Amino acid sequence: MKPSISPETFKTLMAQTGIPLSDAQLAGIYEGYGYLESLVARVNAPLPREAEPALTFSTETK
Amino acid sequence: MAPFLTIAEAARQIATKKLSPVELTEACLARIEALDPTLHSFIRVTPDRALADARAAEQRVMSGAAKGPLDGIPIAHKDIYGTAGIPTTAHSKHLETFIPKRDATSVRKLAEAGTVMLGKLSTHEFAFGGPSFDLPWPPARNPWNPDHFTAGSSSGTGAAVAAGLILGGTGSDTGGSIRGPAALCGIAGIKPTYGLISRAGILPLAFTLDHAGPLAWTAEDCALLLQAMAGHDADDPASADRKVPDFTADLGAGAKGLRIGVVRHFFEQDNPASEATRKGIDTALDLFRGMGATVKEVTLSPMAEYHACGFLIMITEAYAVHEPWLKSGFGDYGELFRDRVALGGLVRGVDYVQAIRRRRLLCDEMRAAMADVDILVSAAQAGEAPPIAEVPKWATLAKPSFTIPFNVTGYPAISVCSGFGEGGLPVAIQLAARPFEEVTLLRAAHAYERATDWRNRRPAMAA
Repeated sequence: MKPSISPETFKTLMAQTGIPLSDAQLAGIYEGYGYLESLVARVNAPLPREAEPALTFSTETK
Repeated sequence: MAPFLTIAEAARQIATKKLSPVELTEACLARIEALDPTLHSFIRVTPDRALADARAAEQRVMSGAAKGPLDGIPIAHKDIYGTAGIPTTAHSKHLETFIPKRDATSVRKLAEAGTVMLGKLSTHEFAFGGPSFDLPWPPARNPWNPDHFTAGSSSGTGAAVAAGLILGGTGSDTGGSIRGPAALCGIAGIKPTYGLISRAGILPLAFTLDHAGPLAWTAEDCALLLQAMAGHDADDPASADRKVPDFTADLGAGAKGLRIGVVRHFFEQDNPASEATRKGIDTALDLFRGMGATVKEVTLSPMAEYHACGFLIMITEAYAVHEPWLKSGFGDYGELFRDRVALGGLVRGVDYVQAIRRRRLLCDEMRAAMADVDILVSAAQAGEAPPIAEVPKWATLAKPSFTIPFNVTGYPAISVCSGFGEGGLPVAIQLAARPFEEVTLLRAAHAYERATDWRNRRPAMAA
């Protein structure tokens, strides 16, 4: 899945993580960034304002 | 080679002194020696420990002090389960020399039940990055065709059980890592309810999605292993403090009266499964109806919703675990693990919070959908195992996962073999139940296995 940002912009973004990466390593991760964007878009679809997070996750038993 | 035995069959023979735990262990060691150079299912075989365990079991059996159905049964552990004094590598260069001081809780409990430990099993690196060819050990291969993938991450356990190198083993499941290998290797694997089995002493991938569980040839064998592994553990903050039921109690009850829901859109629209997989599901539903169950269609959110929520949480939590090593030793990870997890460093705090808000809504949806259903049926994988050399690097993100909905919600789910596809490799169905209703889940899975003859077929290379 093609990322929406350029490899140069992606390089700037990854630099913020502090992981030292070669250009080849950056290119390897860049391929997957498009998938991450699609996951992020899905979880950011509108939610009801009152939707509470499952902060301390416990399985529902009711 | 020695004949194949399930755990239940071996237990009966051991109990009546027709089978020696030492001879059974020696037969497994011989099988490992013959087949594992091809399968690579073990990272480390521990023959001395295994024979010592077996001799102790044999002594107990002969003196009338046997511990139960697992006494003298050869098993092995996924190499993210901590084992005192025995290296626990996570299949990674980062932990190549790591030797835990104590056993993981479930390792200890299985040892206390009398199992014989044959060694440590291959995994995808830290239970996430595979199949990888740039790690200190090669990836496990599928006994039905060694050129093919096992799925992961409990890849060694899947391969070793299917080939009869062990009678059962441990796995972990954060997005499907027990049920995937069970499906592609043609065995049974159960991811129990979140909190039922302690995660203490098991290397984490993603705290709120990680589940421990067993893999074995049959659902009945999974029940026997689960019995030993389940139970409250103060060392695991997510451990459920509740009475452990007898997981074998209803195995003979059949499917009569069960209310079954089929999530057809998961395998027809959301991630279209192979013809053999769909045929396996439809045949299973016919069998359940024939046994007196009712079947109705259930609609949930598109599988992609569960997938996005689950994977975003997974890579973010995994990144939090691994960030120090990603910064100091990025190149010491295999490419698949490091590139997948590095993406977690790009997830904003607000994205993670939205994912866990959505998670609650998906849990609510699942609870409502199962209010009048005992068992949910869907696929466990889209089809047969692909060639191991042709698994795309981003395969886990490219299509929604059949298994992750039950990690997101924490509901128990099992994969069982439902036939074979065009390539001669296994296909599988996935059954799920309400939380802590493993007794019903195993009852349904066992009823299905008993109604088919898939359990009579073993990989040709291991025959």
